[in-house]
Amino acid sequence: MTAAFEPAWEPPPMVTPEPTPLLELRGISKTFPGVKALDDVSFAVWPGEVHMLLGENGAGKSSLMKVLCGAYRPDGGAFFHRGQQVEITGPADARRLGIAVIFQEFSLVPYLDIAQNIFLGREFPGRIPGTVDTRRLHAEARRVLDQIGMDIDTRTLVHTLGVAQQQMVEIAKALSQNARILVMDEPTAALSDRETERLFAMVRKLQADGVALVYISHRMAEVFELGDRITVLRDGRKVGSVLPAETNADDLVRLMVGRVVDTTYGRDFCTAPGDVVLDVRGLTAETGITDVNLTVRAGEIVGLCGLVGSGRTEVARAIFGADKVVSGEVRVFGKLRSGGPEQAARSGIALIPESRKTQGLALIRSVGDNLLVSALGRLFPSGVFQPGLARREADDLVQRLRIATPNSRRTVKVLSGGNQQKVVIGKWLAAQAQLFIFDEPTRGIDVGAKAEIFALIDGLVKAGAAVLMISSEQSEIVHVCDRAYVMRAGRVAGELARADLTEENIVRLGMHQ
Amino acid sequence: MSDMAVSARSFRLATVPGVAVVLVALLLVFAIAAPGFTSLPNLSNVLMQSTILLMLALPMTLIIMTEGLDLSIGAVLTLASVVLALVVVSTGSMLLGLGAGLAVGVAFGVVNGGLVAHLGIPPFVATLGTLGAAQGLALIVSDGQSVVGIPREVRMIYSGTFGGIPIPVIIAIVVYLAFHGLLYHTRFGTYIPALGGNREALKLAGIRDTRVLVAVYALGGFMAGLAALLLTARMSSGHPTAALGMEFDAIAAVAVGGTSFERGNGWLFGTLLGVLAVGVLRNGLNLLALPSSVQVACIGVLVILALFIDALRSKP
Repeated sequence: MTAAFEPAWEPPPMVTPEPTPLLELRGISKTFPGVKALDDVSFAVWPGEVHMLLGENGAGKSSLMKVLCGAYRPDGGAFFHRGQQVEITGPADARRLGIAVIFQEFSLVPYLDIAQNIFLGREFPGRIPGTVDTRRLHAEARRVLDQIGMDIDTRTLVHTLGVAQQQMVEIAKALSQNARILVMDEPTAALSDRETERLFAMVRKLQADGVALVYISHRMAEVFELGDRITVLRDGRKVGSVLPAETNADDLVRLMVGRVVDTTYGRDFCTAPGDVVLDVRGLTAETGITDVNLTVRAGEIVGLCGLVGSGRTEVARAIFGADKVVSGEVRVFGKLRSGGPEQAARSGIALIPESRKTQGLALIRSVGDNLLVSALGRLFPSGVFQPGLARREADDLVQRLRIATPNSRRTVKVLSGGNQQKVVIGKWLAAQAQLFIFDEPTRGIDVGAKAEIFALIDGLVKAGAAVLMISSEQSEIVHVCDRAYVMRAGRVAGELARADLTEENIVRLGMHQ
Repeated sequence: MSDMAVSARSFRLATVPGVAVVLVALLLVFAIAAPGFTSLPNLSNVLMQSTILLMLALPMTLIIMTEGLDLSIGAVLTLASVVLALVVVSTGSMLLGLGAGLAVGVAFGVVNGGLVAHLGIPPFVATLGTLGAAQGLALIVSDGQSVVGIPREVRMIYSGTFGGIPIPVIIAIVVYLAFHGLLYHTRFGTYIPALGGNREALKLAGIRDTRVLVAVYALGGFMAGLAALLLTARMSSGHPTAALGMEFDAIAAVAVGGTSFERGNGWLFGTLLGVLAVGVLRNGLNLLALPSSVQVACIGVLVILALFIDALRSKP
């Protein structure tokens, strides 16, 4: 399975850094309740340099970006601009220092044209007060677009542009503000190969003009193709800052992953799986997943991992019938599955979604109501609700799942995250599901409750159910799953048997090469 | 690359023909079915009657572009008309009356905007509340009676002509051009699609978005005050239910005109056509002696029809 990992790259042009960096961050820390998002991170960029920023999901890249653009105020640390200490207390400060951030979510207005978007809030005043000098607006926009080689009419409405062109407009907007430090968050994530080449050409042009670029990427090839310097973050800390010539892809992966092994979720792995419960063949959906093949057997916990946006949730939704399937088939207990979520639920599939508050629970209703909502048809075939039976059934589930609530009439909203998750699981137990699909089952749940959730999931498979589990936390997959599939760009990039199931292998398969 | 993305101008013509189709169809149907529809006095009448609606529908377009709504605009128009009539009758001054009407309109507009922008109350609910308040006040200050005795100079605003063109039509043309300039050639106008399309981008650009939003609603109130002059002149009185339900026609005209209720996508010229379509429909049904209740139902069908045509065209 270890694919050849020789990125095609030429030695990058060695830059001779000026003595003082354009921007330097020293000891930046940022804490949110319960999470240390950034822990003593130091970081510097020089003019004309492309500084690659790497890290797993949740390593602190986005927090660092938000600090750079002034959206977050760090708890500690200092900024230096050309050697002078400066404060960044808000977006205005960042802008004044020439820092521009291009997020994956664009800051463009769909029904304004390109020129209006580039100069939004900085319109050129016309002769009459309040009016805009439209001629100058378009002339200036033209000038900026020419600078980046974008030959498109400045009167084009932005919503008619493709992602790549919108990205160009974002870059133009940044340059029009005289940005000298440009931060880009996975700019090639949504681009085709040709568009990517154009973007690279522009990055090199900006570089030649002395712009400093901070470039967040998940693709090894571009890290080595564009990067002059590579910084790796892990769990909010900087774990390495290296030159491309001194490292290779394997080392970087090790740096990104290399966390201490955490064995709190150990379980007896499944040695003799039962019948095939879920069989997915060539599944292609409108949401961007392509030719997905996977199987889950009774008694197995199968992981589904990959980077955020690689199509994990989309696979779950397509299996459940929540998104339109273009081609391919899903068999449950050998029977071809068709129809929407309702049919899926009736055929014994349970989808426990990522955001349980919005998708899995009616927060203001009671624990009992939530537990029984999918089982009403089975419990009351005549259609008449019997409060006594419902109460007994709900209390029974509360006990079995050890949900910490005084009684089943309490509203779900007041429960902790872990207990809410148990209610969602209980709901499907009551509905007698046989195949459980978990999407990030431990998101927003504290460590103690995590172990309990995993014990619960283990209990499900020990009782003969089959489980497909999506998780961004590779350590969870490694410690809990019997097997795992790794997604990349909407496809299954590979399957890892128990023996090969390591974090490094997951990252390797999941990264773009 | 430029052949892939269509320019702004041709894009609009390509995607908003639903309203044009509907308007032409209505004109043809009534020209055949309704006797006297094509007579010059009648067509002139359609234009005259459409002017008041246009003055509500133009600001309504801007409000809807912010992903907002103003249900109170008809009631505020009514109240402004009653107040204007009372002031004109007691002082004899048209200017004072107009000033009072505008003041009432702007006051309600600012309240609407404040509720929506600063308190975060959904526009539907906020303006439903002010609808009730304005309608109630109109009945209170008029004591439920028509305010009569409107002097001739005020009535002439509706019935008079200037260079052979009815004064309301001239006012409507001026107002339309002003709105066109405002939406497409000022900073304020630039921020309106941004309020609906990407409010975060506006904030990041350092613009006080709440202030712009309040101004948009205030403009709606101002236009209701201005329309009150035409309405009072036309009715020769200030009547406490004169513009009851006119917000329905205004919102319908905007919707028929192809303004979408999402992402700041609006089209001012479409609203003009939408107003004409609603005006032609009401006039034609009148000529066919169909009651007002049937007209409301037909306007409803008109909205759905225009949007249906747009939906058909946008989906390949």
